[in-house]
Amino acid sequence: MLNIWMFIKLAWRNILRNKRRTFIASTAIGIGLASLIFTDALWIGMENNMVESITSSFLGEGQIHRQGFRSTHEVELTINNLDKLVSDLEQEDIVEHLTLRTTSFGMISSPANFSSINMVGIYPPTEKHISQIDDVITEGNYFEGDDPHDIVIGNKLADVLEVNIGDRVVMTVAQAYTGDLSQEMFRVSGIFHFNVTEMDKGMAFIRLDKAQKMLGINHQVHEIAIKFINHEYGRDKQLPFWDKYSKNGNEAVSWAVILPQIEAVFSMSNFSIFIIGLILFAIVSLVIVNTLFMSLRERMFEFGVLRALGTRPFVLARMILFEAGALAIISIGLGTVFGFLVTYITIKTGIDYTGIEFVGVTFRHLLYPVLQVKQFIIYPIWVFILTTLVGLYPALYAAKMSPANAMRKSL
Amino acid sequence: MEKRNEHIIVTEKLKKVYSDGGVPVPAVDGIDLTITQGEFSAIVGPSGSGKTTLLNIISGLDSPTEGKVWLNGNLISSMSGNELSDFRRDNIGFIFQAYNLIPVLSVEENIEYIMLLQGVPKEQRRQRVERILEDVGLTGFEDRMPLQLSGGQQQRVAIARAMVSRPALILADEPTANLDSKTGAELLDMMRKLNQDSGITFVFSTHDKMIMERARRLIIVKDVKIVGDENRE
Repeated sequence: MLNIWMFIKLAWRNILRNKRRTFIASTAIGIGLASLIFTDALWIGMENNMVESITSSFLGEGQIHRQGFRSTHEVELTINNLDKLVSDLEQEDIVEHLTLRTTSFGMISSPANFSSINMVGIYPPTEKHISQIDDVITEGNYFEGDDPHDIVIGNKLADVLEVNIGDRVVMTVAQAYTGDLSQEMFRVSGIFHFNVTEMDKGMAFIRLDKAQKMLGINHQVHEIAIKFINHEYGRDKQLPFWDKYSKNGNEAVSWAVILPQIEAVFSMSNFSIFIIGLILFAIVSLVIVNTLFMSLRERMFEFGVLRALGTRPFVLARMILFEAGALAIISIGLGTVFGFLVTYITIKTGIDYTGIEFVGVTFRHLLYPVLQVKQFIIYPIWVFILTTLVGLYPALYAAKMSPANAMRKSL
Repeated sequence: MEKRNEHIIVTEKLKKVYSDGGVPVPAVDGIDLTITQGEFSAIVGPSGSGKTTLLNIISGLDSPTEGKVWLNGNLISSMSGNELSDFRRDNIGFIFQAYNLIPVLSVEENIEYIMLLQGVPKEQRRQRVERILEDVGLTGFEDRMPLQLSGGQQQRVAIARAMVSRPALILADEPTANLDSKTGAELLDMMRKLNQDSGITFVFSTHDKMIMERARRLIIVKDVKIVGDENRE
């Protein structure tokens, strides 16, 4: 029986008999593999970019609320045992930063107009570690000084209210427990532009203590926003952290729970890659079958001779499968190098999607594909398995042919 | 059955019919043939007379439409694909018209291919290759690739490949067709010598005069039937 080295030797020498054809076929397969590697790296980069945009603009990677607050936004539903909770969170190794917020619906008015908005009370020194409000100020400043009447609003809201820096606006909110209206006058100290309509038109930030006073909730808050030392924690719904802090009537949730539609988009994107992969591999399969059949047709007499010499049909099929494997290995070599180079160059240059909104998320940074080791293991394995599987067809075709027919067909 | 065991080849009422666009075309018709161990015979006849088909059926490369074939006492017309492969490997050597060496294997690798299939140990393979190359006058050509050889040298390698597994029978289909007359004559003389020295049976399919002159028996085929059998011993 032929040993494995003989199969390998025959496969390599046969695959290199027609170098041009092998090069064209393996380049085609390699481009398919490179496309998959690049697409995967691009999607990971896009996901990271989106997560970064979502979590670092305002949301944070995790949040803690009183149970029921997220669905009702009732002002009374403040976080229980706040001091103990904050103290515990500060001891957590995985928590890098946290900030406290109040959040309530209210109405903002100017001499020219009015608008319903989400009034958010923030503590500016800690807030800037979680959100990027301070980074997107286009006019004025981000709570410089200690004027309790400072308010920072979005540019679109400023347009609606027809106000500029230094203009006065009035905030009206309902107080906790009593429902009494509470009004305060503020002076616009900063205007931001997140390039997210929902925020630019519908949010206004004031100092935390002022918000607590207006809402009548003493030193209580509605939300603790958290940033972890590793952003992957925020996406991990199984992280023990969530259970640990979901007690005493509070709930701790990741951003993925707060915005399930984004996770759905990510799942969809993974499925898209799978479909793209299937289409690419269907094309690649045709290339492989065509290449192997061309090679097979040319060598029909040779196969007849091999059979005549006593090569069993299964052994002949195995020879052709080894050739398919050799073709796969050359293609994988080309594809991984090509995929790496294209992705690496794109990583260096970045892709500029900044300002473009996708499923409600605006890309705020250049998009950089992410290379991962798995891209150079899983996809090449796919290519190898697929090439070998596709090679079964010509292999069985050759094995089934009678030696006399094989020799006749070559004439 | 006893008679079948005495002969290396026995065919009984062999018939092969091809279909050409639904029209049956006979290629071999009712052939009864016996060839004894050690013969140096030639099946001769014009193109299309059925020589190659007969040779293919005798070797199990093709199956008959009707009739039976015994080789070395084994009924090969009832063997499975794998059994036939193994039987050919161990009992039959082939020499084809167009040399048909494996172009990606060196001279040595081409010759040792059958021994690899037979599981012959490496050292034994090396010794047998060395010896057979000496017999066919190609010592020192071990590492050459087929394309680096002349037609005559390639056919010598094909003869070495056919003989190295020490088969009982060598079937040669127009082995001199692509060679000049001098080279062809040299090779035929070499095969005759091998036949006399080793006792291996040679059966040619040919219409080459040189082979006919050297063959000890001529089996004449015409219009897919045997029409003459001339023994020159």
